[in-house]
Amino acid sequence: MAQSSTATSAPPPSASARTYPNGNPELSYNPPGIRNTDSAIPLHPKGPRLHNYASDGPAPGDLAFRWIFGSNVAATNRDPRVQVVQYNEDTFVLRENVCVHWEAPFTYLLFGNKGVLLIDTGATSDMKHYPLRPMVDAIITRWCQARGRSKLPLTVALTSGEDIAQNQGLVQFAGRPDTTLVPAPLEVMKRFYGLGTSWPGGTGKIDLGDRVIEVIPTPGTHKDGVSFYDPYCDFLFTGDLLFPGKINISNDGDFVTSLERLKAYVAGHSVKWILGGHIDMMFVPGKYYRRFVNYKPYERVLEMIPGLIDEALTYAREVKGKDMMLIRPDFVLFNGVSPDQRTPVWPAGVPNITPPFHF
Amino acid sequence: MDRRTFLGYNAAAAAIPLSGAALSSIAGAASAAVRPAPVDFKSNVPATGSFPEKWDCGSSSCMDNKDPPVQVHWYNPHTAILRQNKAYSYEAPFAPLYFGNDRVLLLDEGFTQLRNEWDLRGVVDECIDDWCRRNGRDPASLELLVAFSHLHGDHYMAVNQFADRPNTRYMGQTHEEMVGFWGMTNFPEERVTLDLGGRDILIWGSPGHVRSEFAFYDSYTQILYTGDMFYRGRCYISFWQPWFDSMKRLIDFCDTHPVAHVMGCHVEISKSGEDYPYGVTWQPDEAPVEMTVQQLRDAFAMAKTITEPGIYFTGTVFLCNQTRGTTTIDRNPYRY
Repeated sequence: MAQSSTATSAPPPSASARTYPNGNPELSYNPPGIRNTDSAIPLHPKGPRLHNYASDGPAPGDLAFRWIFGSNVAATNRDPRVQVVQYNEDTFVLRENVCVHWEAPFTYLLFGNKGVLLIDTGATSDMKHYPLRPMVDAIITRWCQARGRSKLPLTVALTSGEDIAQNQGLVQFAGRPDTTLVPAPLEVMKRFYGLGTSWPGGTGKIDLGDRVIEVIPTPGTHKDGVSFYDPYCDFLFTGDLLFPGKINISNDGDFVTSLERLKAYVAGHSVKWILGGHIDMMFVPGKYYRRFVNYKPYERVLEMIPGLIDEALTYAREVKGKDMMLIRPDFVLFNGVSPDQRTPVWPAGVPNITPPFHF
Repeated sequence: MDRRTFLGYNAAAAAIPLSGAALSSIAGAASAAVRPAPVDFKSNVPATGSFPEKWDCGSSSCMDNKDPPVQVHWYNPHTAILRQNKAYSYEAPFAPLYFGNDRVLLLDEGFTQLRNEWDLRGVVDECIDDWCRRNGRDPASLELLVAFSHLHGDHYMAVNQFADRPNTRYMGQTHEEMVGFWGMTNFPEERVTLDLGGRDILIWGSPGHVRSEFAFYDSYTQILYTGDMFYRGRCYISFWQPWFDSMKRLIDFCDTHPVAHVMGCHVEISKSGEDYPYGVTWQPDEAPVEMTVQQLRDAFAMAKTITEPGIYFTGTVFLCNQTRGTTTIDRNPYRY
């Protein structure tokens, strides 16, 4: 029965014979940006499949899931240790479980035609507690299978080599084949990016093959701080220089200068979002989680609009030279005070909403 | 005879040789069997006991913590000290469990409310069963008093887990109910005696950290339990003068009574005197919970010199005089 029906039906259409292998751009559900993605990858690619990273405006993508937010009793948490959200086919956002480490840092994995870049490595070195390396290996392996490659060189770069909330996972990548670890000591790191003489001016480059990530020196919260710009997704990765949370300024002069540099950079480049290394803020303005919290059900979203650089710069100038903290709706600045500092000063014009407390 | 007594009867009768006088009737035999000679809490005091070398102190990754939810340490056969696991609550309060011939006193109920998240009730029941098994008692005959040192959530959160427990009385969560629970009419000066059945607990007011707080002295182990107004860590002093007066009361008490150990509710400091910041869930080099009377006296001597709000380290504890909302000890380690 089945055989006879197969015999009488038409042969299946060949993918290569279709007019539009990636979908008809005239259709409403195929907007122009979609044509730039590899949404129709052959099942058994014969050779390396190159991707065109030139796109009009930011490459399409989506942070469609809410972040896993820990649990009231951290010891009984059974969530994944590494949450992976695929922004688009060449961009991944990884987050450490809040109950493995309260900093719950974000880690970014960016693919190009000739390489892959891992930005930051999380706050836990123990692979049993935080299996970042196996997760990154698995993602790379699957990506390579889809794109017809046997291997892809990995570069591991840090937004700050001295930040223990982001450099602890680095040891997991020691000895990994085809891997370049950006050296941590400041002088060596400058030379690696070709910034030996111009630091903190100039920009470095990490070429992933048609996707060239720019490296912008941004000391201020760490003396070896850098930010990364991805011209494909139009993301600016700022680590803990600028993120929706408690920004501990370590040198206010450098911090202001770095924000000025970022502001000038953003003026000359298209930036969709700023993605930082952590979230401390809640989804009500100006409220934040204290340190060491393993349960953050009211977290703000990760992404920040580039206009926040102006706001951060305005208020960074205000706190410069003073030992104080300053609350803004999307971030809090701590200059020269304890990370646990509190203040009775509430910003004018910002609604003061107390989120419900959980028990 | 209730069900638990009935079930326990034969085992107890076999274990305890009966004297002829007690066998005058079946009922007499039963009561003699389930109620052996009372434990003597009055002679050979202070009862010796020991604190553990090292308490469970959390772990670098909370979700990989394999320690029990409540660490139970038997200080001696009639005194247990419970501690909440750091990975269950960063406050990790200590909670003594004092056994007497008639009743059991539980001081403090931790910082997790739900029994399915943190089963304090089950652990306390197990401790009582354990003690009764060792002493040939019937757990149902012991009354449990569920009290707390002061009116803060990390000390009474699990109290509802005891709401349906038979033969149990628990403290209400207002100042008036707390004072009334001990039958005090002159808080904080009045010192009352709670008789657990041959074991006296002396209780008096100790405000300063909050308005509603007590100090507890166990006449058997001679442990002075000072709650959150004096512990190895950051003593947040909300009200200086009441706190100073409470310290004076503690010193006066130590002048007139033998005290083996002074014990607070938390530990927030390392053996080398390093401060563990508020909320931290891993204290790998934690200092012991118990303190000496001399350390209490030193703190009082230092307190006499304090006139300004601020943070003062006595060598044992941090006295945080009216600083809770504005100042902390920790620094940004990356400042350059």
